[in-house]
Amino acid sequence: MNDGFAVGRAIPRLEGKEKVTGQLQYLSDLKIPHMLHGKILRSTVAHGRIKRIDASKAEQLPGVVAVLTRDDVLRNTQHKSHYGPVFKDQTVVAIDKVRYVGDPVAAVAAADAAIAEEALELIEVDYDPLPTVCTPEEALAPDAPLLHEFADRPEHEFADLKDIAGVSGTNICSLFKLQKGHAARGFAEADRVFEDVFSTPAAQHAALESFTTVAQFDPSGRLTVWSTVQNPFVIRDQLAELFNLPESMVRVIVLYLGGSYGSKQYPKLEPLVAALAHKARQPVGITLTREEVFHTITKHGATVRLKTGVKKDGTIVARDCQVYLNTGAYAEIGPRVCKKAGYTAGGPYLIPNLNIESRLIYTNCVPAGAFRGFGVTQTTWAHESQLSMIARKLNIDPLEMMLKNLVDEGDEFATGERIQSFGLRECLQKAAQAIDWGKKSRSTDSSKAIGKGLACAIKSTITPSSSSAHMRLNDAGTVHVYVGTVEMGQASDTTMAQIAAEELGIPIDRITIVHSDTDLTPYDLSTSSSRSTFHMGRAVQLAAQDLKRQLALSGTGAHSVVGSGTVNTNTLKAKGEHQTSAFWFAGAGAAEVEVDRETGLVRVLRYAAVVDVGKPINPVHCEQQLRGAAIFGIGQALLEQMVYQDGLLINPNFLDYNLPRFLDVPKELIAVLVEHPHAEGPHGAKGIGETAIIPVAPAIANAVEDAVGARVNELPITPERVLRALRAAEMDAARGAVLSN
Amino acid sequence: MPLRSFEYIEPASVSEACQILGDYPEEARICAGGTSLLLLMKQSIVRPRYLVNIKKIPRLCYIENDGAMVRIGALTTHHDLEVSPLIAQCFPPIAETEHEIANVRVRSVGTVGGNLGFAEPLTDLPPMFMALDASVKIENAKQSRLIPLGTLFVGHYETILEPGELITEVQISRTPKSFGLKYLRFSAGSDKPAVGCAVSVTLDDSTGVCSNARVVLGCVAPTPLRVEASEALLVGREFRPQLAEQAARVASEACSPLEDIRGSEQYKRDIVKILTARAVTGAFEHAKRLS
Amino acid sequence: MKRAIRVTVNRTEHVLSVEPCETLLDLLRNHLNLTGAKLGCDQQVCGACTVLLDGLPVSSCTVLAVDVDARQVLSIEGLAEGQELHPIQHAFLRHSAFQCAYCTPGMIMAIKALQDQVPRANDDQIRHFLAGNICRCGCHVEILEVARAILGTPSTPPREVLP
Repeated sequence: MNDGFAVGRAIPRLEGKEKVTGQLQYLSDLKIPHMLHGKILRSTVAHGRIKRIDASKAEQLPGVVAVLTRDDVLRNTQHKSHYGPVFKDQTVVAIDKVRYVGDPVAAVAAADAAIAEEALELIEVDYDPLPTVCTPEEALAPDAPLLHEFADRPEHEFADLKDIAGVSGTNICSLFKLQKGHAARGFAEADRVFEDVFSTPAAQHAALESFTTVAQFDPSGRLTVWSTVQNPFVIRDQLAELFNLPESMVRVIVLYLGGSYGSKQYPKLEPLVAALAHKARQPVGITLTREEVFHTITKHGATVRLKTGVKKDGTIVARDCQVYLNTGAYAEIGPRVCKKAGYTAGGPYLIPNLNIESRLIYTNCVPAGAFRGFGVTQTTWAHESQLSMIARKLNIDPLEMMLKNLVDEGDEFATGERIQSFGLRECLQKAAQAIDWGKKSRSTDSSKAIGKGLACAIKSTITPSSSSAHMRLNDAGTVHVYVGTVEMGQASDTTMAQIAAEELGIPIDRITIVHSDTDLTPYDLSTSSSRSTFHMGRAVQLAAQDLKRQLALSGTGAHSVVGSGTVNTNTLKAKGEHQTSAFWFAGAGAAEVEVDRETGLVRVLRYAAVVDVGKPINPVHCEQQLRGAAIFGIGQALLEQMVYQDGLLINPNFLDYNLPRFLDVPKELIAVLVEHPHAEGPHGAKGIGETAIIPVAPAIANAVEDAVGARVNELPITPERVLRALRAAEMDAARGAVLSN
Repeated sequence: MPLRSFEYIEPASVSEACQILGDYPEEARICAGGTSLLLLMKQSIVRPRYLVNIKKIPRLCYIENDGAMVRIGALTTHHDLEVSPLIAQCFPPIAETEHEIANVRVRSVGTVGGNLGFAEPLTDLPPMFMALDASVKIENAKQSRLIPLGTLFVGHYETILEPGELITEVQISRTPKSFGLKYLRFSAGSDKPAVGCAVSVTLDDSTGVCSNARVVLGCVAPTPLRVEASEALLVGREFRPQLAEQAARVASEACSPLEDIRGSEQYKRDIVKILTARAVTGAFEHAKRLS
Repeated sequence: MKRAIRVTVNRTEHVLSVEPCETLLDLLRNHLNLTGAKLGCDQQVCGACTVLLDGLPVSSCTVLAVDVDARQVLSIEGLAEGQELHPIQHAFLRHSAFQCAYCTPGMIMAIKALQDQVPRANDDQIRHFLAGNICRCGCHVEILEVARAILGTPSTPPREVLP
């Protein structure tokens, strides 16, 4: 497919000028008339019953308009008390129990933030502490206290999660299993069997823009919510259900997001702020402090036990993956993370005997939810690290071993479907090439060593899912395009405009994008799962084709012409074939690192992110996604971890939670786009928002092992962990030398 | 989090400031750059009723050479030190270290007096200034006193200052020709250092033998920690790598770092050892280059 | 108790009545409706609130409004001359040096400060100066290209690899 005059071109972002002049309005810049300021009172205990809560003094403070406690939630028969994207285990404010330090217990709406803050101190709460469980191991112990006594069946059923269930009487929120062949037989046939454990800590998305929600009920009872969310339609549906309103009585509006990376999906503040606005009879707005963001949503910490059986020549014959995901106090979208992580826990390899068990476990930690990579990062950390370890022990080049076992286009994957449009082999080869794989580098400094590592990734996108776009012709040949996709920096507005411009044959400056307003834009499942270019982009393309068709028919009265397009993907395809994913992500990462043998400090000298994009609608923006995800991944690999002590998060701020800076960015950061077009994507395009983050950590760990012979299987790869591993490796080598003498 | 209400008092002189601080020992706090204090106030860790702004007091921001010593006014900022031609000439390691402190915005407003007075363990200037045998001038409403910097720090965020006292100046004597200073820090990806080590040596011009030494560790104790045992090893000796190793081992054994998110006790000791060895080597090299 | 201050923001003098506990960021966003500077971490770490105070880059979230009496503040809104964008803003557009752009106003002001303070900065010096500004979307490579273009300095040659 050749480049068009819009698609395939490096067209600048539509909203660029507003962004570089500081004029772009994010939600916290918006001033809503008569808005009250809200503040949340949060639990100070990790697990406990609320014996008593008394807000009477707070209510009497001058300037306080409303205080929300469990009494309001229980008393109000119009509204429900529980919500949640899969299991309804969250409440508007805590009712009988608190389940983590930071759990919302009450909220105040007042004339200004200072008064609201002061009022919080006047609310009296007595807790009856309960024993806490802070890790999956503790939560699974036989005498562990149960966080949720009643496991709700999902009432809001996402089509892809209708089989999800937990294990009642335990803290196992949900369970996913995948089996192929016969694992025990496979291990018996193997020449060698390797067992290792890999762990990932909870981490922060750390979008620079915090979370803000403003809610307003109008006299007719209609609820309008402005919020920093990635999926306005899901929020609308959840709020409609919670407040017993038809969907048409709820409007959710998203402006532009200042970053999200998964943090701003599914209801967080919206139920509480709406309930507070309802009680106050005035609009209420809450913006979380940075510390509160740390206590709202995280990445799933995980432990993966990987057992792999191989032949001498590196062929993988059996694999068993036991995945333990720490979902914190509430399920949130954890069940989907559990399933997604499970699907690809074996890796992008042809493995005849595969047993995967993925468990999602409640603990008294901050709830975990969607995070760029969605559980696949944690399992890829395991399988790509272990593959490199195995290759070294077998004396095989890790690249050769990966290529030997790799799933290719047309192969049947672990999920039972034939994978189409999957350029992983090319990605891997190009990544290796980009860092001169095979050529050893030496540092001029004798206290430092240089090494190289590779890793690759496979991930799926939410299927089934749905996206619709509308298009309206104005005079002077200009067009309004309505898309529910949320612009959070990934250049979705521009991508949709490029697709529309290409299809209609008009310059891009004639296109206006109207985005993410449930009253104006037609249904879109969400802006997540790297799905928007493929689904909404195709819907835009179809809408444009529809518009052209109607124009050809209508002749005059062009103002009445509206084009629409809808993409519905399903797990059952036209020919009766089954698919888990409408398209598959393929990507590879290659790292060259320098390790200081004395301090254990790791610096990434060179990193190549290579991803199959199908067809780049905008090559510059695509490359930016790759580089951005790589830098994000470097932070996760080397720097970032949320640290708990007895259920208390001890580093909930940017001074103590280390984010990647300019000095952490490799001097050579290479982004390469590979193109294996997908027949159902617009111009063959597929999504790439997450792919490049997934292989970063194992590529770096593999490079560290290559450099100094030390293996770190616990993220982040801190200097201390490297030094400890180095010492252990030196002792092993010394013991080996003694034994062989 | 928004700051709680307070009254902002702006004295026009040191004695006026000290008078107010003396009158309200529990409720008044000095506000210079505010980079440390305002963070504590945002977290409601401290809630002063009065902030005493000393930035309007004249003649507290200067870097002067009076021949025998360099005087640094308490309101001198990190940025001032970083770009000062006088500091670059007399004490280049100070300018180099200032370049690494926190970030460029903190350096624009953070002051030397504030840095020393706050007495936070995770800082860079105190060990370095102590390796230079700096003195600190402390004033109250009536008089002033001069104390060695080392005696300023009493504990974790605690100085020897009495109510009504203010740091007004740091004095650093000009160093002899063959004097070498090296400060190294290790930061685990944060704006704050995790371990610091300052070493200074004075060499005999003709023999190259060390006649005086300072070894001061930062971040690994409630206050900067002078390791006199390491210093004693260096005095009377010429440089050899083994000497640096020895002094480093003694330093790592002399401290008891706390385990925290920046590292375990053992790891911090390991880093103390590495930094001290490198700093000793660097100080000797610096001294030899100048002699 | 409120206090009157006289402050020049983007070359215009304002007389404002502020509480001592208000920050410069509050002054810009609430009193003057200049919402370009953002609250990110409230701890001086992220740089999303960067503005120039008497020419020096500061974290406006941690500068008291009362402390800017009789001083000059330059924020992102003051860079463009009417409709004419500043060269740094043009460079950001040319190099696509932003994604969500929440860090962008602060980053642009930091580059302005860099240009003023270290006009001949090389790559390492640029990285060091900008290390205090976080970009979570990861536009560092593009932002470095902007800084190089603005300073007109050539990049540091790549590290040599020994075979």
